[in-house]
Amino acid sequence: MEIDLSRVSIRPFSLTDAHDFLRWAGDVRVTGNLRWQTFTSEEEALVFIRDVCLPHPWRRSICIDDRSIGFISVFSESGDDRFKAHIGYGLSHEYWGKGIATRAVSIAVTQVFNDLPHVLRLQAFVQTQNKASQRVLEKIGFKREGLLRKYSCIKGIIHDVFVYSLLSTDLLPLP
Amino acid sequence: MEMDANETQSKVVVSSSPPGGISLRPMTLSDVDDYMVWATDAEVARFCSWEPCTSREEAIKYITDSVLTHPWLRAICLEDDRPIGYILIMPVDNIRKEIGYVLARKYWGKGFATEAVRLVTAEIFKEMPEVERLEALVDVDNVGSQKVLEKVGFTREGVMRKFIIMKGSVRDMVMFSFLPSDPFK
Repeated sequence: MEIDLSRVSIRPFSLTDAHDFLRWAGDVRVTGNLRWQTFTSEEEALVFIRDVCLPHPWRRSICIDDRSIGFISVFSESGDDRFKAHIGYGLSHEYWGKGIATRAVSIAVTQVFNDLPHVLRLQAFVQTQNKASQRVLEKIGFKREGLLRKYSCIKGIIHDVFVYSLLSTDLLPLP
Repeated sequence: MEMDANETQSKVVVSSSPPGGISLRPMTLSDVDDYMVWATDAEVARFCSWEPCTSREEAIKYITDSVLTHPWLRAICLEDDRPIGYILIMPVDNIRKEIGYVLARKYWGKGFATEAVRLVTAEIFKEMPEVERLEALVDVDNVGSQKVLEKVGFTREGVMRKFIIMKGSVRDMVMFSFLPSDPFK
């Protein structure tokens, strides 16, 4: 089913997203690759939105028709390393494979370099078997710098990851 | 992150056989004068996070505050037990460590850094069996140090652009790794 990508937007989370949030954040297909827990109730989702998403320096809901179907987070490292920021994202399984993540992350990176002018490097670490996520980053213009062996420990499992980066000075491809 | 060992061509004829004869031991305050040989050298300091040392008092303070307190640091010594540099292991997280090393310029190009890195890499996986990955980050311009790691058998994983801030400027760094299962060269 083709999606009209103009229906895709990103915005800060709100407490009223809890029900929609649970639909994708309660799905282990979405959360399995992430450091996120898999949510089990609307109550948990509400608390998480309130205590983690709302105060977060840069977290957005990926929306279709303003309904939450995923997230994008950017967090800068601290102190002298604040020029470096990590980007992570997740999308509801029913919306995979339609260019939605690419559209949303593409909007996000433009906003991030504006909102966080101290950020010179955006980086992403993607597991080697997660080809869909690699394609998202490549389409946006992230550069794959290499394969980092046994670099990431997620939920007790150690993974090889590809490291991707986008610099504030890189030219973004035309949308 | 202390790193520098430049093994580019030296003007002295270098023996092609392995140097051997280096040993590793903890640093002590009595090493201060040998420490100053490399710590005052701007060429040695070039790719390190520190500025060259300018006095013996400064050296004593730095050794006391940063060297003796370091969780894992060893002097690299020749047969006379005097240090010509040091090598250290920094924790990154519970499964990853980072290796760094510095050597006095007079001893560059002779294989001493390579030997020290080889010894420490072998040792660290025995001492810390929970470590899954030993990594090293080298400035793109520090070709000598890249060669040290390649000679030991580290895998060059790629160039991380604008990855580390050093002395106020953001640098591209080459990432290297060695896993417990990797063979030594």
